[in-house]
Amino acid sequence: MAIGLLAGVALWSAVQLINDHARASYGEADQLLGAEARFWIRSTGDQGVLPADYIKLRRMGFTSVFPVLESRLQTKDGQLVALIAIDLLALPLTGSGNSETDASKTSSLETTTSHPFAAGNWLALIQPPYQLWYPATLADQLNISAGEQLLLRNGTVLPPAVIQAQVQQGQRLFMDVGAAMAVLGRDRFSYLGVGQLTMAERKQLEGSLPDELTLVENHQAIDMQQLTASLHTNLSALGLLSFAVGLFIVFNAVRYSLLAREGTLTTLREMGVSLRLIGMAILAESLLWSVGGTALGLGVGLWLSHLLLPSVSVSLQSLFGAVMGSDIGLSWDQVFVALLMTLTGVALALTLPLWRKASAPILKTTSQEGEVGKTVREMGFFAGGLLVCAAIGYTNISSVTGGFVVIGLLMFGGALLLPVLVYTLVVALGRWLPEQMWQIRWAVSDALSQMPHLRIALMALLLTLTANIGVTVLVDSFRSALSAWLETRLSADIYVISPQLDVERLVRTSATEDKWLLNSHDRFGASFRWQARPSNVLGIDVDAPDVRNMKLPFAVEGGLDAWRSQESPNVILANEQVRFLAGQTLGSDITLPGPEGPVSFRIVGFFHDYGNSGYQFYLPSDLMRSIWPNAQSQGLALWIAEGQESEAEEQLIAAGALAGEWIWQKDIKAISFSIFDRTFAITAALNTLTLIVAGIALLAALMAVHQSRLPEYSHWRSLGLTYLEWLKIVAVPLGLMIIVTLCLSLPLGFLLSWLLIDDLNVIAFGWTMPLRWSWLPALNLALLTLGIVLVTLVIAVVQVRLRLPASLKLLGSR
Amino acid sequence: MKRILFLLFFLFLQAVFAADKATAEDAYQLLRSDPTGFERVVPGKALAFPSDHLPHKDFRIEWWYVTANLLDADGQSYGVHWTLFRSSMNALPDPDGWASNQVWMAHAALSTPDGHVYEERFARGGIDQANVTLAEGSRLNAFMDDWSLTGETQDLLPATLSFTAGGYSVNLSLAAKTPWVLQGDQGYSVKSSQGQASYYYSQPHIAVRGQISRFEEAAITVAGKGWLDREWSSQPLAKNQPGWDWFALHLDDGHALMVYRLRQTDGNHWISGSWVTPDGKATTLRKGEVLITPVGTQSVDTGDGTTRDLPLTWRIELADKAMAWTVTPQSANQWLNTAFPYWEGPVDVEGSTDGVGFMELTGY
Repeated sequence: MAIGLLAGVALWSAVQLINDHARASYGEADQLLGAEARFWIRSTGDQGVLPADYIKLRRMGFTSVFPVLESRLQTKDGQLVALIAIDLLALPLTGSGNSETDASKTSSLETTTSHPFAAGNWLALIQPPYQLWYPATLADQLNISAGEQLLLRNGTVLPPAVIQAQVQQGQRLFMDVGAAMAVLGRDRFSYLGVGQLTMAERKQLEGSLPDELTLVENHQAIDMQQLTASLHTNLSALGLLSFAVGLFIVFNAVRYSLLAREGTLTTLREMGVSLRLIGMAILAESLLWSVGGTALGLGVGLWLSHLLLPSVSVSLQSLFGAVMGSDIGLSWDQVFVALLMTLTGVALALTLPLWRKASAPILKTTSQEGEVGKTVREMGFFAGGLLVCAAIGYTNISSVTGGFVVIGLLMFGGALLLPVLVYTLVVALGRWLPEQMWQIRWAVSDALSQMPHLRIALMALLLTLTANIGVTVLVDSFRSALSAWLETRLSADIYVISPQLDVERLVRTSATEDKWLLNSHDRFGASFRWQARPSNVLGIDVDAPDVRNMKLPFAVEGGLDAWRSQESPNVILANEQVRFLAGQTLGSDITLPGPEGPVSFRIVGFFHDYGNSGYQFYLPSDLMRSIWPNAQSQGLALWIAEGQESEAEEQLIAAGALAGEWIWQKDIKAISFSIFDRTFAITAALNTLTLIVAGIALLAALMAVHQSRLPEYSHWRSLGLTYLEWLKIVAVPLGLMIIVTLCLSLPLGFLLSWLLIDDLNVIAFGWTMPLRWSWLPALNLALLTLGIVLVTLVIAVVQVRLRLPASLKLLGSR
Repeated sequence: MKRILFLLFFLFLQAVFAADKATAEDAYQLLRSDPTGFERVVPGKALAFPSDHLPHKDFRIEWWYVTANLLDADGQSYGVHWTLFRSSMNALPDPDGWASNQVWMAHAALSTPDGHVYEERFARGGIDQANVTLAEGSRLNAFMDDWSLTGETQDLLPATLSFTAGGYSVNLSLAAKTPWVLQGDQGYSVKSSQGQASYYYSQPHIAVRGQISRFEEAAITVAGKGWLDREWSSQPLAKNQPGWDWFALHLDDGHALMVYRLRQTDGNHWISGSWVTPDGKATTLRKGEVLITPVGTQSVDTGDGTTRDLPLTWRIELADKAMAWTVTPQSANQWLNTAFPYWEGPVDVEGSTDGVGFMELTGY
């Protein structure tokens, strides 16, 4: 029972803690390293903010403005890391003292930096060789220890590592903003953060900004809550699943302990102790156990949440750009909720066996088979009901939560169907097996004796197997869709982002010299907010090879050609997020915020855009330039003639690109997949953990079965049954039931993955992809399950062998 | 001597950038040890203007400090306090730019008939966010963000002081006709018997006029007397000096009196000051010539939910001149709950000649 509670509570509370923590972090998303950032000042062309413009604003008295530099860096090993740099001395203080209102205000600098600065000093942070602050988990991941220097792919050596983190640093590197500009060779900030402003201040600030800068509201906190809701629902579902499985264990444990003490209980009742008193005693004991189990479970949960946090954090950062703090603590609310949940669970798990116990006559005589048949029929009806509800619900899925409700109905309906299938199979086998095979017939019919005890554990196993298969298929499908998509999207050999590259010269060299360059594609883009999400529009060359081969999953007839030729004016392509999240359809007219005012477009096609949490649009480059003349280069793609790789790199350097400003296609793909794998690491971790919990549930159930049947086994043994024959009789039905469970988990898992991919994924992320079924993970899972079953069986058998002599003695003494 | 606020500033920087509590205590030790590498304050140096109005980066710490006692047309009192602190974080040449070893801190406070507001700010040096320079080569400008003390010439005075705090906007013009008062021995001001000292000069006779406004409300015209202190040093405090009590008083007959008491743990407090005539002639006051005694304690609201008992009423005597005054605060609640907190506010003076002034109490 303790194990059940521990396993269930631990996993559930770990997930709960992570979710709460993440939500708290989003609540702070308008905080930047401890300072409020209600607004941002960005340049209209997104080329950054000049320090001189920043100082001018400060000198005008806008003291809530502070500089921020953000960058994604690629390490020598190809890992991508995010960096945030800020001027800690310029962070706005939260307010001034004012004894008129008796407001006690402290400086945010004081509260946020007294600890973070503990390992360094101001000069070490701002003067060469500078300092680079790593959160501990990130340092581990990059294999960096204090004092070491990270080497970037472009040859830049980053400052010596200090292992410590600022508040809201998340899984990012932190540096002083001046140091970052020096080290990264920048002359501009990414943007300016702005604290809270009154309406008058806002107006005044807007009026004081130079033309190329604009004040935009920071919607991150709201965005993050919305964007990440699906991932948290997903995590919660897995957490609840393990809690449910944990309760199955408790249920079995209670039965087991009641069976083990059957003699004592019977004696007590014969002595005249009232049922009420016995019930109270058992309840009190359970209460003790559950409080202990919950406490331990919460402890393990806290530990587990720390273990899982980095991977959730990576998931959130790669999927949504959400930053999560690395400190997790247990609140009294959580302890209380956990206790309440386990107590309710334990009470439920106790009620049924106790009620049965109470209603049973002191000396029981039951016809097991008749009872099993009746229960199974009830379950069959119930399962049917749930499945019908799931089918009705499916037609009305509109939210992630709704989707999970349908999944829940389907899974529990499927679980209840399991005993029905086993029973039907056993009865059928009993009919079909010839009478000579009496041993097998006996073994098969023994399933009816085992089933009442194993039923719950098998259902728990089925649920975990289904979840495992469903999620694995989802991740596999996503991976293969991503791979295929990258294949078409990244058809060029080299991608260059270099502000000082002379593109014309580069292209010219190939024409005049040895034709190393087959083709090139220069893209331009502009960013803005549209429909409450960060969005951007890209101008692309319609004749570039990657555009010629572009396939649209959804397009109006001849849409792509219409877009290429722009015969009907302002025809645009959008990512499928625009279709599924913004609710636009083919042929819809949309309005985008251009620099000269709103511009209208008609959507003629949607393209896949995996991993993007915002909206994206494509326009032919000519049209793009005429509407967004200040659009910034988003990178140059180059197709290189075979064997000319080193020539290409030489020419790039000659045209002004610096080492590290270009990246080879294979490297991008490798990086993409490493991000992908890290993003889904949490899923894999939870999958394994729930499977282990299910294994424990099965073990507890087997122990209960054998304990209850020990007298029966003694009879058999005294009749001369060998251990081997006994093992056959016990193991064959178990094997049979496990195979049925596995077989049922396949279609259920398929259905689950289909729901996840076809419905939930679209609702949550706005991406569609083909479902890719593979037998390999199912086979792996089957082998793993059989392994777990074998281990539990061995443990159970050893237990029986140890206890059988005592049981035989008892039998003899009767 | 209030200007030893640099100690707080230094400690603040240490606490913020260096260390936990233990190291912050070490910072005291560092402050009291020899300031290796920094310039030392030595007797006999002739102060020169306007160059000494500008920063002395070779010294660890320095400040530009303005206080003023003002009255509006209805005779209601206002107190103004504005300071710019500079600190060199090491004794090496300043690399300037974003890697500058200079750090700036500024405090602004305003006492009104309704209460007390204040703000503190910080800025790194080298990026023109805070500095004391000759703007366009001809006007002295001491500033942080939009707070500024801007001279009309290369001299610190006449000047315009402009700042905002707690919703108030303060614009004052400052002018003086008397020469700078070189404190101590020609500006060499000794702070302990163990050799700690600073360069220190003041202007106690500043005529102040200007406006105080709040949000959209009509501006209030104010006028009164101001005081400007300049001080810099590399090693200002002795090991046994935990805090100080400082007074800058304008007497109604036109005299000015500055006295301070550096409290020493051995009870043998370091006392010094100056007596300035209406035409700006100063006499340095030494221990024995001036007596400073706390005579009354009041409970002060610190603004963070706590209160503190401070000696807010004082008796000051000049034995040789047979003069004595009682100094009482215009309002007790003048606590600045800044990164390093202290009490600073306007006071009333009664005695041989009545007057007004400013008092600063630290280390309580």
